[in-house]
Parts: sequence; structure tokens; C-alpha cells
Amino acid sequence: MSNSLRASNESFHPLFYWLWALILLVILLFSKSALISLSISIGAVALVLMKRSNTYWYQSFRWSIRLAALAFTLRMAIGVIIGVPMPGQVLFTIPSITLPDLFVGIRLGGDVTSQRLTTAFDEAILLVALILIFAAASALSNPHEFLRVLPRKYYGIGLATVIASSVAPQSARSIERVRAARRLRGESSTGIASYTKVGIPVLEESLERSIDLAASLESRGYGYFPNPSRYRPHIWRLRETVALAAPIYALIFLLLLPAVSSVLLAGLLLIAVITPGFIS
Amino acid sequence: MITFTNVSLIYPNAERTIVEDISFTVNEGELLLLIGHTGAGKSSLLKLINGLIPHHTGGILTGEISVAGRSTRAIKPGELADIVGIVGQNPINGFVSDIVEDEIAFSLESLGVAPEIMRKRVEEVLDLLALAPLRRRNVSELSGGEQQRVAIAAALVTNPKVLLLDEPTSALDPIAAEEVLSILHRLVHDLGLTVILAEHRLERVIGFVDRIILIHGDGSVDLGPARQILSNSPIAPPLVELAKKLELGEIPLSIREFRKIAPEISERTVQALGKNLGDTILTINYVSASYDQDQRSKALSDVSIKVNGGEIVALMGRNGAGKTTLLKCAVGQAPLTKGEVRVKTRDPKSFTDKELIRFVGYIPQDAGDLLYGQSIKQECDLADLDNGIESGTTLSIYKELMKIPSLNSHPRDISEGQRLGLALSIILSAQPALVILDEPTRGLDYEAKKVLIKNLKKIASDLNRAVLISTHDVELVAEVADRVIFLADGEVIADGSSKEVLNASPAFAPQVSKALPNNSWLSLSDVERYLSEKN
Repeated sequence: MSNSLRASNESFHPLFYWLWALILLVILLFSKSALISLSISIGAVALVLMKRSNTYWYQSFRWSIRLAALAFTLRMAIGVIIGVPMPGQVLFTIPSITLPDLFVGIRLGGDVTSQRLTTAFDEAILLVALILIFAAASALSNPHEFLRVLPRKYYGIGLATVIASSVAPQSARSIERVRAARRLRGESSTGIASYTKVGIPVLEESLERSIDLAASLESRGYGYFPNPSRYRPHIWRLRETVALAAPIYALIFLLLLPAVSSVLLAGLLLIAVITPGFIS
Repeated sequence: MITFTNVSLIYPNAERTIVEDISFTVNEGELLLLIGHTGAGKSSLLKLINGLIPHHTGGILTGEISVAGRSTRAIKPGELADIVGIVGQNPINGFVSDIVEDEIAFSLESLGVAPEIMRKRVEEVLDLLALAPLRRRNVSELSGGEQQRVAIAAALVTNPKVLLLDEPTSALDPIAAEEVLSILHRLVHDLGLTVILAEHRLERVIGFVDRIILIHGDGSVDLGPARQILSNSPIAPPLVELAKKLELGEIPLSIREFRKIAPEISERTVQALGKNLGDTILTINYVSASYDQDQRSKALSDVSIKVNGGEIVALMGRNGAGKTTLLKCAVGQAPLTKGEVRVKTRDPKSFTDKELIRFVGYIPQDAGDLLYGQSIKQECDLADLDNGIESGTTLSIYKELMKIPSLNSHPRDISEGQRLGLALSIILSAQPALVILDEPTRGLDYEAKKVLIKNLKKIASDLNRAVLISTHDVELVAEVADRVIFLADGEVIADGSSKEVLNASPAFAPQVSKALPNNSWLSLSDVERYLSEKN
């Protein structure tokens, strides 16, 4: 049992993974390369698996993976079915439907060219990477600790962020519970249909929880006094700086040397993304 | 300490006022109990005192409330944080950090207390509530009683003058409840703290309180000494009801007071109605279960029980003893590692979704989880459809169980008792052989509990179903259960008739049997039966 006036040594600073996610986001938006999106996605998943824990915010990650898979499928399907004609080698053709004049330039079906497929894939994988970065950040950082380190001047922002970042993981738990209850009513417990009816009770519950949390913060004086003190301050240490330096270097590399091979860059980035996994 | 002057409160779009033109004063160092039916406005009154109403929740407030000289209208709840501490109904929802110590320190951090003083205050409170061994634990891993203590510690750490608690014992087993209440009692006496608590289970708290506020639900309230309020109140603990039944003319607040005035009743040995038990419905043989992947900690170990048709069995034990896990075995949702479960002759894991409801009706802790219709009518129709029965069946079962609210009301807006009744009728419409209820009386007032008790008895004796209930509510067990199974740490510690098991420990003995130790009665209805046979 440590009695030092320090926050627990095991976890990173609560802001760390959010900054990490922000830097990766900038890299993604600057590079626009499928290879880099792919390496960031793989890195994010690998990092989350390396930092496995039993907390409820970690448990939400598998739902995020499902969400990412859904986004990927939808984007690819749209890419194949709807689109403007694009040049390139025709891979296959699906029957085309002509839309009324109102939708000029858009058509359903038609020739599917390699160009069209690559564009769809590039965008789909970008979407996946975006989802996974933020899923990783929310799976690895404790939403409550995040609230404690935010400057209390921004009471409203802090509260909104905590509610937003804790609703997803807690709802994941509620969904499991409500689905188990539904089975007790003779509802089918498999398939997509079983998810459709859990929405209302789960939303209701997370709303109630958020209101309780906000009431508790309010009645405990959160944000009312100008100079809050810290019981066990979270300290930004060397390891946080080192772990964050890796993706920052990758970003600088990307910005200064646009000509460098993207395979090399993607490889470096993969290592940069999982760096926090090796530091503990 | 707290003064209400001509206070009225109404919510926008509501049909009735919560309180109307009430005035009273609460003195320093008082322990005040707030009683009233579900939905009468107990929580609202608590929130008025620390300003959460109207600042946080809304509502139209007239009149003046002052707490330690500060008007709650003029300042926000946060500015009262140093004089009022509040503990909500579900402490876990209000926790703002994950580690016990950090949670306790949170208010001090907000108030900007210097770190050295903060450490001293945190240590004091940890000692006061016996939380020192848990200081580095995660709050979500704690038992209900421990969570309640952490929440109280977090509210006390600022040295408030007033502590408000909303149903502090409703989720706790009798022993944990006793612990929390005796801590409150000590705080009032040692520190001169003013405590106001809302509670349904009067039998647990009545011995500790100085005065009672009774909220009638029509806007008026009564405030007076406990004895005076209870003599006319529609809400009273079993002990007071017993005194009224026996026409003792006095209102006893404790078992000791009752025994002083109690007559000696010589009881003709009333033959307990010998029940014809049906076939064995649920058989659990040497079952172990674990939520860990590597099975280090066991939720159940080598549990064997049997439940027969026509029998009501109560499952008791501390928070976290494995009660819910055992109930879940019967619907195949428990992580078994060993042993077998049979409902009639089938393994519940082999049931299809449609078969399950014909064998087992299960109402989870939050009965609302079962509901998803937009109105009572729709909910009942859905159940008819799900079970493939004649339309209107579920609704007529519901009507038989209780006086039902308007058919168009949303299941979320009806009272706790009505919601439980709705869930119960949905379950019953599939005609299961086994009915399971997990903590059914949490949040129920005495009136709703009476309705539930009547219905459970009917389900077991008239319909010959097996009923299995997990509960902390000793008085409920005394009224309905034929048999009690006591779990501790995942093992069956006792399995016997209610009388044997309940009377074995003073903490679990119901008030009637403590008050009349020489008689064989457990509950008020036993006494009623005796009185009616005598006349």
C-alpha cells in the first residue's frame, strides 16, 4: 500500500491518451494514405490488447470494434452501389438503375472500376482508423480521472466530457443486462433484432446516471471555488513525454519529408502508436 | 439549523403540488426521519434542503428555506457544499472517482482545502467509518454496505452541519443496515450533526430517530415526535401495528418498550396449515459458479437446493453472497463451473427462448428491464403476442393482482409497486412452473408490499407454483416464506423453515417474534389469524 502523495503509478496521466489520439488524428488527416490509416488502426488495436484491464471502460472496446466493422462495411457497400462514373479498369458490372433528373450525376449500380473500389477502401479505412483511435483513448483512460484533471473553470465542459465519455462504456454494460432480461420475456436473444428493443431502457438509465453524477458534482462544490487543491496530484512524468514523443516525431517526419516512402512511414508509425504499451 | 417558511413546490406540467405552504424548523443535532408513500415527495424535500431543487432539477419554488442562515434560493448547491452533505439513493451513480480515498477527498479538493489539512480530514473520516482497510480499493468492487459508507464518508469529510440521506438502507442486508445506522446515531451524539433521512423500512430506523416528518402526498406535511406521528400515520412499522392490533393503547418505538407493556398471550397451539407440497420444480445439485476466467474467486461453491411446487422459498444473505447468481442458475444465465441444474427434468441451458418462459418466470432486480412498451396496454398486448395466448389475458391477470393505473400511462411513469405488478403479470401470463423475484421490495412502501405479499401467497397456494425470492427484507420473509435458505460467501449456511432460520439470529428476527418471544408467531398475519380465531 503506497502512502505517497501521488496518484497511482500504474496508469498514465488521464490526459495522456486523449493527447495521443489528437496527434494521431492530425497525422491521419494530413497523410490521407490508406497504408497509414491501416497501420494506425492495427497499432491502436494492438495497444489496447497490450494494456488489457478489467475495468468497465476497457470492456467497451469490443463494441467499438463492432462499430468500426459496421462503418467499414457500409462505406464499401455505398462505394460499390452508388457513385459517379470513374475511370479505370472495369472489374465487374452490376445492373444500373437510372434515377430521375433531380439526382443528376448520381447513379445506382453500373460499372465498378478498380479506381472506384480503391477510393471506397481508402475512405472506409480512414473511418475505421478514426473510430479506433478514439475508442482506444476511451478504453484506456478512466473517465472519472479525466474530470479531476480538467481545469475547474470549465465546469460545463468537464461535465459534458465526462458524461459523453462514460456513457458509451456504461451503456455497453447496460445493454448486456437488458438483453439478458429480455431473454426472460421470451424474446429471441440472438440476431440484430434483439438489439433494437434495448435502446429505450438503456438510454433512460444512462440519462438517469448522468443526472445523478451531475447532481453529485454540484452538491460537492465542483467548480464553485476558484482554487481547487489536489489530494493525490497526477504528475506528468518522463514516461508520458517519451511515449507521446514517438507519434509527434512521426508527425514532424510526415510534414517535413513528404517524399519519403509511405511504407517506411507506416512502419515507423505502427511502432510509435504502440510505444505506450512498452512503457509502464 | 434548517427553517422552512411557507414553502411550496410544484413541477412544471405536474398535476399536483409536491408540498404546499409548509413551515417548520429543524434544530441542531436532531435525527429526523422522513416518511411517506412512494412518490409523495421525500427525495424532493431532501433536495430542497441543499438547493438541488430548484437549481439543478428545476421546479417552481415559493417561500423561503434557510440552512445555517443561508438561503437556498440565493445560492447554488455548490456553495452549500461546506455545510450540507447529501447521499443519494444509488451512491454508485454519484461517485466521481474510482478509488475510495480519492472519492472521499473530492469535496475537499473542490473547496480548495490545503493538502496537509486534507490528508488529516481524510484520515479522520476513514477511521470514523471504519474504511481504512479499503482506502485503495476500487469503489465498484465494494459491497453495497461499503459503498454506502464511502458515500457517507465523502459527504462528512467537509465537516458539514447537516447530512441528508435518501433511503440509506434500502439496498443493504440487515446487518450492514444496522452498522450504517449506528454510525449515524453516533455522529449525531458525538458531533451534534443534524441528520435527515428518508426511509421506507421503518422497523430498521425507528429506534434511532427523534422526530418524524410525514409527507401526506397531498401537499401537507406533519412534523412531530415519533410517537405522536406514528399513532395516526397510515405508515407504521410492524411493531406499532402489532401494538394497535393488540389494543395496547401506547405506541412502542422499541422492542424493550413493547415488552414493558405487552400482555402475556397464551396461545392455543395453532396448527400451522399443513401445506401440500407439489412436485420438485427446481433442483440444483452441487453447483459451483465463478465470474473469473481462472476461477480464483467463486460466486457459488457446491450449492445444492430443491424447491417444490406450492412453496415460497426466500434466499437471504449478505450483499455479494451469491444470491443473484443462484437465481440465475434457474434461467441458465449463471457461469457454472460444476454441478447440474434441473427445472422439472430439463436443463435450463437447453431451453429455447420460447420454452424458457413456460418453465421459469424471472423478475430481475430492476423490474423495468423487462418492459419496453410505450403504454401499459401495449405492454400487455406484447406479452399476449409473445406467449401466443388469447389477447387480453395479461391485462386481466394484472387487474386481478392490483388496482391498475390508466391503460395509457407509460410504464416508466407508474409507481414502483405498479411496475412490479405489471412485470409479474407478464411473467405469469406464460404460466411458468417457477416464479423468481430478485429483491422485489426495494423501493416499495408498506402498502405496495402488502399487495405483493397477498399476490405471492396466491401464486404459490392457488396456482401451485414454486416461488423463489431473494431479499434482505426480514419482514417480507416472515410474512410469505415457508422456507429460508441462507447463503454466505457462495455456500449454503442454513436451509430450514422460516421460523428456525430467522429466529436463529437477532439481526434477522422479525419484529413480531422479537416482541413476543414466547409465542410461535413470525408476522402480523399470524397474530391476526390468532385474534380472529379467538373471537
